Amino acid sequence: MATVSVARRPFPFSPGFLAWVGLIMFLLGIGLVTAYQVFSKGLVITNMYDSVPWGLWITIDLSAIALGAGAFTLSAVVYLFGLKRFQPIVRLAVFLGFIGYTSALLTLVMDIGRPDRFWHPWVYWNVHSVLWEITWCITIYLIIMVMEFLPVITENKFFDRAPWLRAFAQMLHKGAPLFALLGLGISLLHQSSLGATYGIVKSRPIWFKPSMPIMFILSAIAVGPALTMSITFVIEWITGKRNIDHEILRAIARFSGFGLLIYGYIKFWDLAAITYYGRMPTVEQALYLLNQQTPYNFAFWVGEILLGIVIPATLFLVPRFNRNPALLVLGGFSAMIGIIINRWNVTVSGLFVPLAYSPGTQYVLPPGNYFPNLVEWGIAIGIIGYALLMLTLGVKYLPLFKKEEEHA
Amino acid sequence: MSKKKTKIKVDLNRRDFLTVAGAAFGSAVAAQFLTTGPLSPFSQLKQSQLEGVPETGHGAGTGEYHWGMVINLDACIGCEYCMRACSAINDVNPDKPWNIVVEEKTSTGNTFYFSRPCLHCQNAPCVEVCPVKATYHREDGLVVMDYDRCIGCRYCQIACPYDARKFNWELIPYENPYVPTYGLPEVDRRPRGVVEKCTFCIHRIDAALESGQVPGESPGSSPACVNICPVGARVFGNLKDPNSHISQVLADNPTIRLREDLGAEPSVYYIPPKEGL
Repeated sequence: MATVSVARRPFPFSPGFLAWVGLIMFLLGIGLVTAYQVFSKGLVITNMYDSVPWGLWITIDLSAIALGAGAFTLSAVVYLFGLKRFQPIVRLAVFLGFIGYTSALLTLVMDIGRPDRFWHPWVYWNVHSVLWEITWCITIYLIIMVMEFLPVITENKFFDRAPWLRAFAQMLHKGAPLFALLGLGISLLHQSSLGATYGIVKSRPIWFKPSMPIMFILSAIAVGPALTMSITFVIEWITGKRNIDHEILRAIARFSGFGLLIYGYIKFWDLAAITYYGRMPTVEQALYLLNQQTPYNFAFWVGEILLGIVIPATLFLVPRFNRNPALLVLGGFSAMIGIIINRWNVTVSGLFVPLAYSPGTQYVLPPGNYFPNLVEWGIAIGIIGYALLMLTLGVKYLPLFKKEEEHA
Repeated sequence: MSKKKTKIKVDLNRRDFLTVAGAAFGSAVAAQFLTTGPLSPFSQLKQSQLEGVPETGHGAGTGEYHWGMVINLDACIGCEYCMRACSAINDVNPDKPWNIVVEEKTSTGNTFYFSRPCLHCQNAPCVEVCPVKATYHREDGLVVMDYDRCIGCRYCQIACPYDARKFNWELIPYENPYVPTYGLPEVDRRPRGVVEKCTFCIHRIDAALESGQVPGESPGSSPACVNICPVGARVFGNLKDPNSHISQVLADNPTIRLREDLGAEPSVYYIPPKEGL
């Protein structure tokens, strides 16, 4: 019987994996449909308006970039401070950073009124603008991350056909300490400038303070590595492979715990100086108004302090808790939620307080009123889908945890 | 023990003394050269700047003109003509006027009317934060928009202390009820996705200067809001010319500017109501 014997390989995808991919595609689909709506109809279909021109999407940008901070922190730890035992996790950290930064850029492209002019900051410079500096830093840092990560990508079988690229990438890898140094510098710049974006706006009483950039960068340094740690555990649970020694992950958790304590310390003095001792009339009125109109105090104490600092710091630092991976992951995600709530609180609460400029009445304008609508959530869902897709592809096809050969 | 210490010291000295001394000498020379020589960043500064005399901002001080406005809150009757003429001439969305008029109360409870165009600050926060210089100072101190460059990030809207900026959330769906009653549009509507604001009617100022008229003095060469005001509550002109009408008004009247504490140096002055605010 002359049948063609097709060499059947076993079907490589489990039903669970297929369902997962289906879910991601569903999320991405929602995002794409919404993105089309936004591009064709304009930002008018969002709930943002002239008094609250920044909203959920800016919160996503800020959070995604802060959560991507594990990349520069762990790269610096390994390549600059010479703690080589953390080397196995650097690849994943850089990959997560890449996902975070590209997610932020995708959201930004949705958010700006003229996406066709996204390249303008590279051509038309305003060196006084922190936003210009942030755009440049993010672009440069994205390139740095690509160069840091290129060796990992070229290890894929696919690149057997392009040995020159692999050789080039290997050569690039020799520059890892340089990239780590550049990445550290650039990240310290733009992670704090993101806080300065708010901190320099003198007409907004609850933003205008020098602690803003410091709190942004400290929270990013603390939470970024914690997210890397949590995702490593989750990948381990799903793939069933212990990729990274738990002692290393525990050390990262402890590092994050201390970072959170420092962040909390600055936050405490910020709170004391600005709201308790400060008693600046504009700030007091702004906070009073916020507490009247929004659950500001609840979001601050429960979201930012309890979920964002107290719970994760406890889980990361108390030995009884940090031996348990589940609690570490819980702490990591709790810190993540805390930082997202913080970025939301900063962005939207600052805009809720109306500007005070008229000579007679204190607030000529009504207080802001904003909650994201379905369109904005749709883009958010799409971005989450993108991040999960990248992560899944990375885990499946890239040697994220391959033990690196020893080299000097 | 002490011997060892001395030895180390000698070693360090031999090696590093020359380096340190050389570096110190080099820095001293470089410092001297850079602070006084032609490469010095200070060589570009004017004497007044070196003496610490404050400049009036990035915008003013370069050109022959500095356009400003005085709004007399005591004279204003709240007819909203300025808002309507502005909306007609500049074809502004009537829901988002560039020039607002609101009724307010003095501390004794008497009504007065407060109106606000763009204040054309000389230390404009919007100019500082724009990532692409789409909003910038002209030589005559005006803060203007380049609609072809704006990327629509809306940071200027957030930074403006006076809520003078409006974003085009959608593409021109509005009927303009003020056309033609209050005038015909003299400029194009702005495209979707860019920020817009009051320009002090630069198209009129520039045309007037080209034809030899004096903006602010001759009718038709002043901003629409100034021209239409039935009680002459708005005065427009060159703040740099001590003989201009506006300079006279400023000299003869007590004036305030909005939120002086922010240091934005607005070019718009207000004459408060006679009884005070």
